[in-house]
Amino acid sequence: MRNDLASVQAFLASVIPSRTPVTGDPALAETAARFVAGNTRLTPAAQVDIYRRQFWYRHREILNDDFPALARLLGEPTMDAFCRDFLDAHPPAHAPFHKMIEPVPSFAATWPGFETDARRTFAADMARYEVAMLDVRASADAPPLDPQKLASLPEDAWERARIVLHPAVRRLVFSYPVHRIRKAWLVAGEPAIVPENPSPAHIALYRNRELVTHFEELEPEAFTLLGLLAEGVPLVPALGQLAEPLPEEQQHHVASSVGRWFQQWTALGIVVDVDLPSSS
Amino acid sequence: MTAPDRMRLGLPDLGIGVGLRLPHYEEIFETRPKVDWLEIISENFLVPGGVPLANLDRALANYPVIQHGVSLSIGGTTPIDFDFLRSLRALLRRTKSPWVSDHLCWTGIATVNTHDLLPLPYTADVVRHVAARARIVQDTLEVPLVLENVSSYLTYTSSEMTEWDFFRAVVEEANCGVLLDVNNIYVSSQNHGFDPNAYVDAIPAERVVQIHLAGHTNYGDYIIDTHSGPVIDPVWDLYRRAIRRVGPVSTLIEWDEDIPPLATLLAEAERARVVREEVLSHAK
Repeated sequence: MRNDLASVQAFLASVIPSRTPVTGDPALAETAARFVAGNTRLTPAAQVDIYRRQFWYRHREILNDDFPALARLLGEPTMDAFCRDFLDAHPPAHAPFHKMIEPVPSFAATWPGFETDARRTFAADMARYEVAMLDVRASADAPPLDPQKLASLPEDAWERARIVLHPAVRRLVFSYPVHRIRKAWLVAGEPAIVPENPSPAHIALYRNRELVTHFEELEPEAFTLLGLLAEGVPLVPALGQLAEPLPEEQQHHVASSVGRWFQQWTALGIVVDVDLPSSS
Repeated sequence: MTAPDRMRLGLPDLGIGVGLRLPHYEEIFETRPKVDWLEIISENFLVPGGVPLANLDRALANYPVIQHGVSLSIGGTTPIDFDFLRSLRALLRRTKSPWVSDHLCWTGIATVNTHDLLPLPYTADVVRHVAARARIVQDTLEVPLVLENVSSYLTYTSSEMTEWDFFRAVVEEANCGVLLDVNNIYVSSQNHGFDPNAYVDAIPAERVVQIHLAGHTNYGDYIIDTHSGPVIDPVWDLYRRAIRRVGPVSTLIEWDEDIPPLATLLAEAERARVVREEVLSHAK
């Protein structure tokens, strides 16, 4: 067997993420002894197992830190099982932790350890919300909207102008209102009880000017409009796309609400610029 | 801060610093305690914006900040990650850190990142491999690269020299600096049964630009570098020995687990200042 640097690293990288002790596997222990010297107190396999345990402790801590509400939902033993299964399925391949945790929501959505489908859906929603919270916290900055620029726009600008949203804004749809529930569990200290029935929610998660992360609940139509604006569709065409499939009554509702929505988004710092392309 | 004439590798002695950790942010920013400098974990600030960079700017407003990394994987066998180096360089423009440090270790392979600081086999081949990569990193970052000795819990059958001979060979061939972690020397000496004084005595003094001090956790059969608890007396003794050898060098207290109140961390930093001054005054 080769004993060059790449071979040593390939062996250790294959056993360190494992949940099985190297000391408990004679074949692995024999391989470990080819690479690792051991000492009078610890066999080569026992030395490798120190790193294997550290791998588990470190990544369990990261997952518990980044998903405190999910951990609260599951309780320690089940969260441990979830973390073990997650790390088996998605061993970290990159240095940044945000890349490691990206698949947690989709993993939660299929993890068989939940007692019911409803709990699984709730957990996946919560994991998605917790990833978004971390994302919003460290996303790019943007200067606030210049009110003078807004005031100086020509009347027909809204036909063409692209409304620029803050790069930290995230639009999220949930089956359960996990944004409120997480706050109740972690901030108000309420008991971790999952609602009996789903209650869909549309939210914008954003960072205010003091860099504090907040959620804003949106009407479904406002949520769709914000999505179209995020895609770069100017306001008037976006309203057209939004209203077209709606019944007349809802179209009236959108027409009468859009001014209020827009004011709210500018006040919250969700809208940061209006980009009017030159007519040429 | 110490006089600028006390330089090594052209780098200043910044005095006594502490690692900037989240539980202490507000108190440090509000009270501006008497420490000479702060060390950040670079990777915590490699983000597009928001809260982390705002906090960094608050730190920079009052203290020199040194970047310390954990994911360079200078001994790795996967290609150097130039995207990562570009991010580090962008952060260096913000911090104006006069050097950037990381560990003499490897952290993973292409498909697995252990997020750990794994030791390397101490061989001439590995010296050449690491030194070549370190030169590329140093050229790319355009600030001196300073490598830190890690704590280790295993040794390799293929090693053909001592850790300190390996460390010296790498930094000399790469022409980079040394971050001497005296707690790591102690931890590894206990785990592997070597004389920590021999290690300190063998380090190229002229390349040491920074020293780390920290606590650890003793599990009986082995010691883990947990950065928890105060620095123990044998590590203070090693620090005295290191300062006697290398002179006034930027010194930092690291505390990452069971993080205490800021006052406790500052008391530990003050102890480092007193120890350092005692040794230096005796040396005069």
